[in-house]
Amino acid sequence: MKFIGFNNYVEVLQDPLFWKSFKNNLLIVAASVFGQVPIALLLSLVLLKNGWFQKFIRASIFMPMVLSSVVVGIIWGYIYHPQIGILNFLLDSLGLGSWKMQWLSDPSVSMYAIMVPIIWLNVGPYLVMFIAALQNIPSEIDDAAQIDGAKGSRKLFSIKLPMIWDTIKVAVVLCISGSLKAFDLIYVMTGGGPAHSTELLASYMYNNTFSIYRFGYGSAVSTMIVIISLIMVAGSQYLMKSKK
Amino acid sequence: MKKRIALVAIAALLISILAACGGTNGKETTNEGEKPATGEKVKLSLWHNFTGDDQRAQTMRSIIEQYQKDYPNVTLDIQAIPPDGYKTRLKTVAAAGEMPDVFILSNGSMTQEFSAAGLIQPVNELIDSHPEWKEGFMPNSFDAFTVDGNIYSAPMGLSPTSILYYNKSILEQNGLTVPKTWDELLNAISVLKGKGITPIALGNKAAWLAQSSIFSSLADRVTGTEWFLKAVKQDGASFTDPEFVQALTYMQDLGEAGAFQDGFNAIDNTQMEQMFAQGKAAMMIDGGWALSNLASNANAEALEQMGATVLPTIPGGKGEPNTLSGVVGVGMGLGKDATGTKKDAAFQLIYAMSGPDAQKRTLESNQLVSYKVELDKSKVSPIFSEVYELVNNVKLTPVYDGKLTSAGGEAVNNGLQELLMGGKPEDIAKKIQDAQSKALGQ
Repeated sequence: MKFIGFNNYVEVLQDPLFWKSFKNNLLIVAASVFGQVPIALLLSLVLLKNGWFQKFIRASIFMPMVLSSVVVGIIWGYIYHPQIGILNFLLDSLGLGSWKMQWLSDPSVSMYAIMVPIIWLNVGPYLVMFIAALQNIPSEIDDAAQIDGAKGSRKLFSIKLPMIWDTIKVAVVLCISGSLKAFDLIYVMTGGGPAHSTELLASYMYNNTFSIYRFGYGSAVSTMIVIISLIMVAGSQYLMKSKK
Repeated sequence: MKKRIALVAIAALLISILAACGGTNGKETTNEGEKPATGEKVKLSLWHNFTGDDQRAQTMRSIIEQYQKDYPNVTLDIQAIPPDGYKTRLKTVAAAGEMPDVFILSNGSMTQEFSAAGLIQPVNELIDSHPEWKEGFMPNSFDAFTVDGNIYSAPMGLSPTSILYYNKSILEQNGLTVPKTWDELLNAISVLKGKGITPIALGNKAAWLAQSSIFSSLADRVTGTEWFLKAVKQDGASFTDPEFVQALTYMQDLGEAGAFQDGFNAIDNTQMEQMFAQGKAAMMIDGGWALSNLASNANAEALEQMGATVLPTIPGGKGEPNTLSGVVGVGMGLGKDATGTKKDAAFQLIYAMSGPDAQKRTLESNQLVSYKVELDKSKVSPIFSEVYELVNNVKLTPVYDGKLTSAGGEAVNNGLQELLMGGKPEDIAKKIQDAQSKALGQ
């Protein structure tokens, strides 16, 4: 072992592959923040009541969360399978045969194909968080708004959203940090390939550490992931600062 | 108070950043000289990856059990690690310098890296003390385990990586013969494709398959072995040389001719072997490891229909035509901490697991060996005996990732995926060259 100072960090920053995986990872972050959070929010507003139907839908949305992500990866791998995949089969039987794709091996669509299970898998916990927050709004405030004549969208934007804004902020932070370390689904479904086209920061780190056995370099990449996470989380908090 | 917490936090962060500053290629010093007291009881740690239910793993486990019965004074601390995670686990403890006493050692780059770091001990002594055993190996069997004249292990198997498996009935029904030349292969591909049959099944999700099975042999046909060995050492040849670019172009031509089924980068080699076993593809280029998978996936009738041969010849290629790429299998390595009586017990264990008797039992459990054994054909499948005959009659050429550095091998793997998706051969050759020369320079 010899001390090489910051050479590994310099190399990380100069590696085009690192920036490619960074770009892919930004796509995942965007899909999570603008996909998972709004979908969870919408669903929570719809599923707020405690009827059996709402309970059933809530449970089924939360379901994927209790599955191991390896299982989810394998299931979606089969959905996208080039020969026996149900997605291509469905498209065929709907007469949309021209939309058939090599979902996981065509670099022009593979990143988007991977976003779907990532969103599907992670909506559940945010849904639960939002429902809890919405149920915590004191009924007096609700009543007062009712008396003042606030209804529908007015009540949503002036009462409900401001009341759960802190929860949304927490959800966004969790979302950003969660998607920056996204690894399991990618590893199972594509392994970062073909030819690095679905490489994410975490899989880039893993491949360098455990396929090429450069442990120091892998540690440098990990540290970069932490730094990037910190910057993005701080940035999102700054943007979402409620103006008082 | 707050300040103090902040200070601790900053210190922790700094230390974690420094952890990333270690260079690779660390040279650890071994401490010899310490001799355990010569008692009867010996404790040995053994790491292996014979965890599966296949015949080979069962055979090896029963050999280990037999050893425990024969040597009651030796207590084995056995770690059985599934094959997929084995190499990673081993490299991780190796990075920490804590080697098991006896373990499965891959030849080629792993042996070289471990011996350079002083993590393993040579076993010349053991091999020389059993001359009839040494004589029994096929020529050059020890080469891949040898560094500077020291032999670090004896191979327990043989892995030809590049066999062209074909389905006799599909070829016959379409009026084709087994392709012997490149043009015959391209012709077969276009005929089969015209009839809607997948010509060659490929499952390249894990990325090493195209490299180990197709490219190692194909490139050797074009460039010749000598050029490749020079390029690996970056001594008078480079991967940007025209012959290598030519080899990449052949590979790309194969993809562009439509040889492989759609989405080959999304399925793995097990799924590919299933495709071939179920008769959904006319050919498959795969290694000797496919044999056990084929035996369990295909019925007896389908197995009868399978044939095996070498890749076709390439017009004007510099390599020898009647060859296939392959490596000797893993062997049992001796860790640096096994000294004194521990070493004697370890030698006995290694001999039990890779000696003449073990080699014979291995071959009979459908695993090729690099050792001369009379094969009892009734004990194995017909395709197995065909492959065994094949490897006994052709010369073996090196496999790419067995010779290249880990980084260089990765570059070839990813480069071939890119190539088959339409990348430019020249650019890919350059990436491979850069990765290999950088890894050697470190």
